[in-house]
Amino acid sequence: MTANPLTLPSRSDSMARQRALGRKIVGVFPGRYPREIFWALDLLPVEIWDPPLEMERTGAHLQPTICSVVRLGLELVVQGRCDELAGFLFPHTCDSLQNLASVIHDLLGSGKPCFFFYPPKAPFGEAARSFYRTELEALIRTLEEHFGTLKPERLEESVSRGKDLYRLLASLYTERAGAGLDASNAGFYRAVRVVEYLHPDESVPLLEKFLEETRAPGEAAGPPVVLSGVLPNPASLLDALDDLGVRVGDDDLLACGRRLPGAPDPAADPLEALTQGFFRSPACSTLNAPLRQRMDELLHRVRRCRARGVIFVGVKFCEPELFALPRLRKALKEQGIPSLVLELEVNQAVSGQIRTRLEAFVELIEQTEADL
Amino acid sequence: MTGAEARGPLSRGAGVRYRLMRDLGAPVLMRGSRFFRKKRVRRAPDPALGPPLACSARLREIMTRHYLLARYAKGALPVAWVTSGAPVELLRAFGFYTVYPENHGALCGAKGMGARLCQVAEQHGYSQDLCSYARIDLAVDLSGQTPVGRLPKPDLLFASNNICQTVAYWYTVLSERLGVPLLLFDTPFNYTDGPRRNDRAYMVRQFEEMIPVLERVSGRSFRPERLQEVLLLAKETAETWGAVLATMKARPSPMTIFDAFVHLAPVVSLRGLPVALDYYRILLRELRQRIEQGQGGVKNERVRLLWDNIAIWPRVRDFATLFAARNMCFVTATYTNAWAETAPYMEGDDPLEAMAETYSRVILNNSLAHRLELMEGLVRDYHVDGIVIHSARSCKPYSVGQYDLKRLLAERLNIPSVVLEADITDERAFSEEQIRTRLEAFFETLEEG
Repeated sequence: MTANPLTLPSRSDSMARQRALGRKIVGVFPGRYPREIFWALDLLPVEIWDPPLEMERTGAHLQPTICSVVRLGLELVVQGRCDELAGFLFPHTCDSLQNLASVIHDLLGSGKPCFFFYPPKAPFGEAARSFYRTELEALIRTLEEHFGTLKPERLEESVSRGKDLYRLLASLYTERAGAGLDASNAGFYRAVRVVEYLHPDESVPLLEKFLEETRAPGEAAGPPVVLSGVLPNPASLLDALDDLGVRVGDDDLLACGRRLPGAPDPAADPLEALTQGFFRSPACSTLNAPLRQRMDELLHRVRRCRARGVIFVGVKFCEPELFALPRLRKALKEQGIPSLVLELEVNQAVSGQIRTRLEAFVELIEQTEADL
Repeated sequence: MTGAEARGPLSRGAGVRYRLMRDLGAPVLMRGSRFFRKKRVRRAPDPALGPPLACSARLREIMTRHYLLARYAKGALPVAWVTSGAPVELLRAFGFYTVYPENHGALCGAKGMGARLCQVAEQHGYSQDLCSYARIDLAVDLSGQTPVGRLPKPDLLFASNNICQTVAYWYTVLSERLGVPLLLFDTPFNYTDGPRRNDRAYMVRQFEEMIPVLERVSGRSFRPERLQEVLLLAKETAETWGAVLATMKARPSPMTIFDAFVHLAPVVSLRGLPVALDYYRILLRELRQRIEQGQGGVKNERVRLLWDNIAIWPRVRDFATLFAARNMCFVTATYTNAWAETAPYMEGDDPLEAMAETYSRVILNNSLAHRLELMEGLVRDYHVDGIVIHSARSCKPYSVGQYDLKRLLAERLNIPSVVLEADITDERAFSEEQIRTRLEAFFETLEEG
């Protein structure tokens, strides 16, 4: 497998380039938000999921029982590494991130504008749909107060750019599920995660090139698995899977597969397209999707890539993921699909114990494959 | 299907059994329990604490009766399991019998069953890092173990994420396990001041979407005037509870916050029913009498304290005596205050709008700026000398931010405080040694002050 077919721009280089083009950078904490609105205002949203930092100062602000995604996000702020940002966006995702937003905005005084975005948590009825649209409008209004007026044609253009990007990501996922990409697991996630910090003017051509250079129908080898959890981290886990010859065929990760919006109707106006994209996106624990829907979609992912097993890559203390775990595992077991649960800390190297468990799991799924 | 056409989950036989138990069985059992309680040898009262509140016996009866009748409610009345911050008034208007798993979890914790039940859930794959109320509740469903005999299976689950997102995940699991519908009342978090216009519209529309479901499950039609009556009753109950808490401004305070933790049960679980209001009127009379007589919850009150967060239920009695022995009395808490704070919003021409406003504004749906302001106000109004901050492993929205709140309160009010890392019901998260060390240092600071 090709480890890394492309040279990827670093976050700092990309942010410097965008600033030189007159764009301002907004730091975005984890969750769902409409990137297109930012692009249309000449803003670059740069997401803060797993900054590579040592935890030095967070202990003075957060309990050790808070997940490492939240702790690292705060570490970035309290280490003073956000000076070049024009503001922060806090999408509402979970209790800990909700309070992190308030710690930064109300108690620490970051000195930067803070914006908030609340995706509805009960997306069952028309109330949620109309709220989502008004929430988009409210976000536009608050961003306009700081960054100037949003021109309708720019929004239309951005939404169209977003559709290109998501179509491309969907193609990458489809090719991968069909064993049609010659890319390592680590290489794949390094590539698709550029959308967290690159402007689509850069990410779209880069991902097109990645698809072109790695497309190799039927050539990908190794037993496929599905990853489920929050994000594909630590990198050493992906490396370990690569070493063991395991191919990630699909993912149910909040930062990745679960955030791919569904395709909107072609005639929908820009805000309606964003609304439809949100409501047609995959089921997610953080949006309180019914468990039956989560189970069905996970099984669909398993079937789509003919996965031999599912690895739950949980972040320690992540409640949204942990609640659903027993039922999801049971549903998999009923279908004869083995699963493995790993509790991980973001950016921490895979321990010998985890490596041993991974090896045992790979042996198990290889055996299952052989029996079939 | 309209409410009138719907039959709901009810049966005539169950109705007869329920009414017999309510009108005959429960009163007889309550009388018997009173008789035996008089005969029972009581634990010697702690010498540092004031005499127990007389109406505690009445509270015990009310809650025992509530859990007793719950066993007979299934089939007689529509049954709902409800979260503590959910707008239960809407369900009352449809005649639901409501059970509060959080209240039940607290009861299990106070009876020392928390860790054992949590372990049952853990054996079934639920992580030890999940909220212990949720683990206890799942364990009750998995094992049937409960100190109240039996909990009725619900016909409906009703949750609001105004207290945490955890309840939404927890009730989503319950909905799938029990095969019953879940109504989730989604309250956008107030990052700044109160709900915005689009938040209000969203919340009201959710209520409108819930009404047909409630009509179908209960078999009753919606009557706005009935909801208005229930809401007014709930408002008066919350106000009376507020008056009960306000008695603790007196020196000495007529009860301690550990008493208030226990007497909180009716405003949480029976809000919108006459029994809760009647009870608080009795309690208020007794507390006012104690103030007149100069009788305190702690006999020799010298230091007044504020408690932040939910109680450490397994340790309520231990903490009451520990602090009383040092003449320290907890006179207020952000937690108990939560059910009084929003009472002013519970009234309006449109009951759905009033409910949206009220339930959006509960403490945990507001930013930490609101909490800081609230705590500053409580310190001033209740003449507080020190703060005990319970950092509850189970409760992220209550606990994330507490370290900075502590720092800011010290800077602004020059008030000492201590953080106790523990849990609401899981005793395994309680480190005796660590807590003793922290409290000793806190006591020294207070005594020096």
